[in-house]
Amino acid sequence: MAGAFSFKGCQKIRGPQIRNLLEAKDFFLFDCDGVIWHGENAITGAAKVVNALVRHGKNVVFVTNNSTRPRENYVHKFSRLGFADVMLEQIFSSSYCSALYLRDVVKICGQVFVIGCEGLRRELQEAGIPCLEETDDPDATIYDCALAADVKAVLVGHDDKLTFLKLAKASCYLKDPDCLFLATDNDPWHPLSSGRILPGCGSLMAALEVASGRKATVIGKPSRFMFECISSQFKGLDPSQCLMVGDRLETDMLFGFNCGLDTMLTLTGVSQMEDAQEYRNSDLSTNHSLVPDYVVDTIADFLPAFEELEEESN
Amino acid sequence: MSGSKCARLQGDLLQQLLDSVDSILFDCDGVIWRGDQVIPGAPQVINLLKQHGKKVFFLTNNSTKTRRMYADKMSTLGFDVTEQEVFGTAYGCAVFLQTACRLQGQKVFLMGSQAMRQELEAVGIQQTGVGPDHVSGGPGDWANVPLDPEVKAVVVGFDQDFSYMKLNRALQYLIQKDCLFVGTNRDTRLPLEGGRAVPGTGCLLQAVETAAQRQAQTVGKPSPFMFDCLASQFGVERERCLMVGDRLDTDILLGSNCGLKTLLTLTGVSTLQDVAGHEESGCAERRRMVPDFYVESIADLLPALQG
Repeated sequence: MAGAFSFKGCQKIRGPQIRNLLEAKDFFLFDCDGVIWHGENAITGAAKVVNALVRHGKNVVFVTNNSTRPRENYVHKFSRLGFADVMLEQIFSSSYCSALYLRDVVKICGQVFVIGCEGLRRELQEAGIPCLEETDDPDATIYDCALAADVKAVLVGHDDKLTFLKLAKASCYLKDPDCLFLATDNDPWHPLSSGRILPGCGSLMAALEVASGRKATVIGKPSRFMFECISSQFKGLDPSQCLMVGDRLETDMLFGFNCGLDTMLTLTGVSQMEDAQEYRNSDLSTNHSLVPDYVVDTIADFLPAFEELEEESN
Repeated sequence: MSGSKCARLQGDLLQQLLDSVDSILFDCDGVIWRGDQVIPGAPQVINLLKQHGKKVFFLTNNSTKTRRMYADKMSTLGFDVTEQEVFGTAYGCAVFLQTACRLQGQKVFLMGSQAMRQELEAVGIQQTGVGPDHVSGGPGDWANVPLDPEVKAVVVGFDQDFSYMKLNRALQYLIQKDCLFVGTNRDTRLPLEGGRAVPGTGCLLQAVETAAQRQAQTVGKPSPFMFDCLASQFGVERERCLMVGDRLDTDILLGSNCGLKTLLTLTGVSTLQDVAGHEESGCAERRRMVPDFYVESIADLLPALQG
């Protein structure tokens, strides 16, 4: 097996190397934005790749820090974009995993103060987690807003309706050391398909960390928790059988490293080869954890390897 | 007096200290008042110091009032003060943008208060962005939010209208490398009576800095900028100047960095336990946050002034 991986080490692989990798791994984890699609457009060849992996008996799951949509939306999106039969159980979003964390790890008894979108609230509600109702009291100010009694966790996600009042309320709840402080992810910004960027959950989390003097527990990549959710669902999952494919060094590659997975950077998204090389050449050894094992220009680079495999079996 | 840091200020020590300084700088929140409630004895202290021929100034990181508004509040509460004696970060930020950044006659994107807007306009700097900014449309619209081409800097102060949309606008401006980035201060909370934790400007600034992956220059304590303004306007001698504050990481650190004598009052944020922590740390930067003296309240200065 060692010979097959002599090409490990932040370099582009193609053809026979990809084929060896595809044969050696049986569990593929894909990030979505910048890997599978850009907004409403699938990456050329992505659907073929995923369909082929499944046809060859591989397990495929999707691991995304995007907390804005419920998983059902992703199922519909996959279907719309030509991916055959992607099921709810294959989708692991940071909002879904936040709900699992609260329900199964924390076993929360009490309410959650949520700073986030409707998509996040829905995942929590579906898991039976009580969320504080958003009261739009127009007269409430930061000096006299009402606080609920049994808030046992503050969960911050992407929230385009964030206000100062929400930050103030959250920091009041966080004064209680028994109130948990969770964040769906710590991405400082995220890219749109146009190439522009928007503020991410990480910036909101940073504001609240400063306000409360506390550090949030991050659910999404690069934290291990989403992999633990995947492992609970797919019993007997062996990290050495896995390949994590993503486009962002600071989230996807670090996530893979933290979970003991081989990592592949695809260049259709945020991070570029130069970024990976900078981390590799860094004096700070912790930066080496962000360096991918393998690099491809696009996941469509898998297709020739499948064509070969299929030719051989004919 | 080597090694005798953080001595309790009373009796002869108090008299000696007062004789050794000509100028006294006071922080406001947690020192002379809490919210709208004056610290008992504070007006008498200030007024008596002036009667004794001392120069008295106010140095506050709070950006929600103009110098005029501070002077009015102080008069109402019984302090005998003129607006020239007050240095708040709304004023300080305007001066910084005018002098250090040379933005007089230019425009900035302001995430801050009406007071900041007024201080900016007083030095000939226009702004866009102040006030509520509610979200509309979707992510595509937000990333394409129209940018005013005249904006030369993003300026962040305390802003009750902070919202995701404002954060987004600030980010879009800051993606332009030549756009300057200035904040009033990094205080984590704004003090009020009752002890309720209200997030301070430091939180908003951190949100913008994280999204933009850029650091702002800040004008407020412990940066020496406002002290330098004050010193040059009034010819203050550092060796004969005392800084009185309630926060070790802003007031006392500023004092140490500028070569002033420092006095901690315990009516605000920092405690003697905090002082001990810094004193016992091996860290040079932390030891600069240990004050020369402390009092329970600035009213403790009265015995030396009323005699």
